[in-house]
Amino acid sequence: MQALRWAPTPDGLAMEPARCCLCGLDDSDPVAVGEDFEYRTSPEVFRAVRCRRCDLVYLNPRPAPTELSRIYPADYHAYDFSPESFGLVHAVRRRLEARRMLAWCAGLPDDARILDVGCGDGFHLEVLKEFGRPGWRLEGIDPDPRAVEAGARRGLTVHRGTVQTLDLPRSTYDLALHIMTLEHVDDPIGVLEGIHDVLRPGGRCVIVTDNVESPDFRLFGGRHWGGYHFPRHLHLFSKKTLGAAAARVGFEVESLRTIVSPVNWVYSIRNLLVDLQGPEWLVERFSLRSPGALAAFTVLDAVNARVGRGAVLNAVLRRPPLHVSAKAN
Amino acid sequence: MRSHKTPPVAIVGGGIAGLTAARALRERAIPVRIFEAGTELAGLARSFKDEQGFSFDFGAHFVTNRLAAALDMGAVCRTVPRYGEVVRKGGRYSAYPLGLLANPRHDLSAASARLRALFDRTPPRDAAEAFRREYGEAFADEIALPLVEAWAGAPADRLAPSVLQKLPGSILRTLLMRAAGRLTHRAVAIGYCREQPESPHVWHVYPEGGMGALCARLAEGLEETVSLQSRVEKIYVVDGRAVGLRVNGKDFDAAAVISTAPIHVLPKLVEGTDALAPFAAFKFRAMTFCNLHLHGRGLLPDVVVWLPERGFRTFRVTEATQSMPWLAPEGKTTLTIDVGCHAGDAWWQLSEEAVIDRCLDDVRPLVPDVRERLIGGRVLRTPIAYPVFLREYENARRRLSEDGTGVAGLLSVGRNGEFDHLLMEDVYYRTLDRARRLADELRRAPAPRNAPSPTPARRRGKAAVASRAVS
Ligand SMILES: Cc1cc2nc3c(=O)[nH]c(=O)nc-3n(C[C@H](O)[C@H](O)[C@H](O)COP(=O)(O)OP(=O)(O)OC[C@H]3O[C@@H](n4cnc5c(N)ncnc54)[C@H](O)[C@@H]3O)c2cc1C
Ligand SMILES: [Zn+2]
Repeated sequence: MQALRWAPTPDGLAMEPARCCLCGLDDSDPVAVGEDFEYRTSPEVFRAVRCRRCDLVYLNPRPAPTELSRIYPADYHAYDFSPESFGLVHAVRRRLEARRMLAWCAGLPDDARILDVGCGDGFHLEVLKEFGRPGWRLEGIDPDPRAVEAGARRGLTVHRGTVQTLDLPRSTYDLALHIMTLEHVDDPIGVLEGIHDVLRPGGRCVIVTDNVESPDFRLFGGRHWGGYHFPRHLHLFSKKTLGAAAARVGFEVESLRTIVSPVNWVYSIRNLLVDLQGPEWLVERFSLRSPGALAAFTVLDAVNARVGRGAVLNAVLRRPPLHVSAKAN
Repeated sequence: MRSHKTPPVAIVGGGIAGLTAARALRERAIPVRIFEAGTELAGLARSFKDEQGFSFDFGAHFVTNRLAAALDMGAVCRTVPRYGEVVRKGGRYSAYPLGLLANPRHDLSAASARLRALFDRTPPRDAAEAFRREYGEAFADEIALPLVEAWAGAPADRLAPSVLQKLPGSILRTLLMRAAGRLTHRAVAIGYCREQPESPHVWHVYPEGGMGALCARLAEGLEETVSLQSRVEKIYVVDGRAVGLRVNGKDFDAAAVISTAPIHVLPKLVEGTDALAPFAAFKFRAMTFCNLHLHGRGLLPDVVVWLPERGFRTFRVTEATQSMPWLAPEGKTTLTIDVGCHAGDAWWQLSEEAVIDRCLDDVRPLVPDVRERLIGGRVLRTPIAYPVFLREYENARRRLSEDGTGVAGLLSVGRNGEFDHLLMEDVYYRTLDRARRLADELRRAPAPRNAPSPTPARRRGKAAVASRAVS
């Protein structure tokens, strides 16, 4: 029996029904209705739901895979977070990220193999190239050709494809990064499985993704929350649901905490202003190019992160070393 | 020959409830078959458009942006920018319900009612008592009860206290939601949904092509499972379980039956049990909706005018174009006059012209030159507009809403199937829920009719169905 689909409405996107990736069912309640406030790639109205069994938040219905090029337009920021277009913010972010990333890399051998799954414009790989050890072998993967080009411009090795479909060497990498990407993928479990399998036993996977148990979600989660990034974020996690996804795949959870990020705060306010048709000059105060707003919300979110309610989740997962591995490969 | 695979779940009715159930089951890979008595889908959510460009539904109809998004119809729905209600009393209008709070006489009597309620904790006996205790005698007797009686067609002391369904949320919340609606020019849905929370981000929308478009959307991909002009005449129950039905003289096996037919009809359809007998007594209020197409716009002080005074035949006049300008050609409008009646009574049998003529008289106090403005009119009638909660069957009503039909494999869902004042979003979510639970049940245990050793009684019943079955 084939799944029921709807024909796209005029100017609308081709959409498909979604299910909770943890329980495989759609037994959910709606939590938000929103639009593509940031890029206006379609007049579509989107709905986020929460699984009654698992608590996972996901987009349902969601754009069909055939719409990727439309919902990720050419000016999509992940492809062009360059110093030229983002100035001061870029410089500060590099510094902050470098500190965080080197902490994740603590204990890696000098010749470690590191894979950035969903590397976008190669920002994180470049940071590691500059601040990390010279012997580290860095690779990225991304399904979008623009990402591959951007990586090549920076002199990085970027494979085009996904961790499930690319024929990467198994049980090989010491560290996989999956930063602000899990929320974008249509099959998070498949991606985590793919990462699990290319890691060597004992290798680690670092995930960073939006947190639905944060004050910004509580305030804006009915519509304007930046973390929805309608319609590009298909799955949104909490400590509980991210832990469940990791466990499903056979990862050990080494740490699962929240970290500071101003981005969802800034974009929540921006989306609210856009939705209320606020004046352009005010809207422009709230973006990745607004050092003032970013700084202010970094301070605020630092307080939240202190009490475990930062805007972004950070999980460090470990593929169990062979002698304790329950999962046969 | 009868096929040996599991029969489909049979669905009685192709309104929003039937179609939602069908989708939910299909998503769980359970085959379905929908039988609709009428010549088209959508039931009460049908829309009409006449040659002159006037669109109308049964009463004023809209849904939420949240339901539209669930059906991927957000891009083809228009935002309803505003919605408001007023009450007309002694020739004066006051905003409903908050404007009425400004009447000190109402407030005083409400306060004393609340005070008395502190000492008297016995549950109210009937709707009259429930309203008086909640709102005070002044407001209840002058406004609320006359409206309830006109709308239900029965005196308030014959109605169950459950008629008073308290709105969720506080007055403060309601005020905030109103303010949000005013700020955003969106008719925020207040007091519309019970199954899902209210929110300033949930407002009313109207689909291009009318309400019926929603059901057309739900029916996408189900085409081959729908049979129109297929009135279900019988539902066979064997050993306490629904196993098949008869449609247009033909018998069909069913793994289960989901009925969206009005609940008072169901006992007449079901053969093989009298478990549903108490539901036969349930009453629905019949309504005529007289749509007067007129020159001009904004003829009423707000979208809905409630008329609690006895001098009127109608209890409610609606100018939907104030909410939804697209329902009439520019510079023209529609007033919808709701008149309650009993199916078959003198009013029910009046010709369309006669209804229009009397309704023109009725609205003259509101719009003195209404006759001069008249372009034409259309009358819609339905015998099942509103479920009436009479005290005499309140226990049976509760049992239905808590335990369902009492017959395994027979669900009664939808507005009239559940006998509840459900709007479409509630119908959607409630039906999804129940259909999914049925799917889980069917998955866990295939219908007992396939059990290896049926009891003699079941075998007899089965044979009876089988012998009538047409493959
Ligand atoms: C005046 C009025 C105004 C309303 N306004 C709104 C509004 O603004 N917003 C909103 O969301 N909701 C509104 N509603 C409610 C909404 O219309 C209903 O909740 C919804 O349409 C009910 O859908 P249903 O599928 O449960 O029932 P129905 O639409 O009644 O569908 C039942 C179907 O079953 C068929 N049927 C019955 N018996 C048989 C049989 N024996 N065999 C085969 N088929 C059969 C019927 O022909 C019908 O098509 C309003 C209702 C009324 C009466
Ligand atoms: Zn789930």
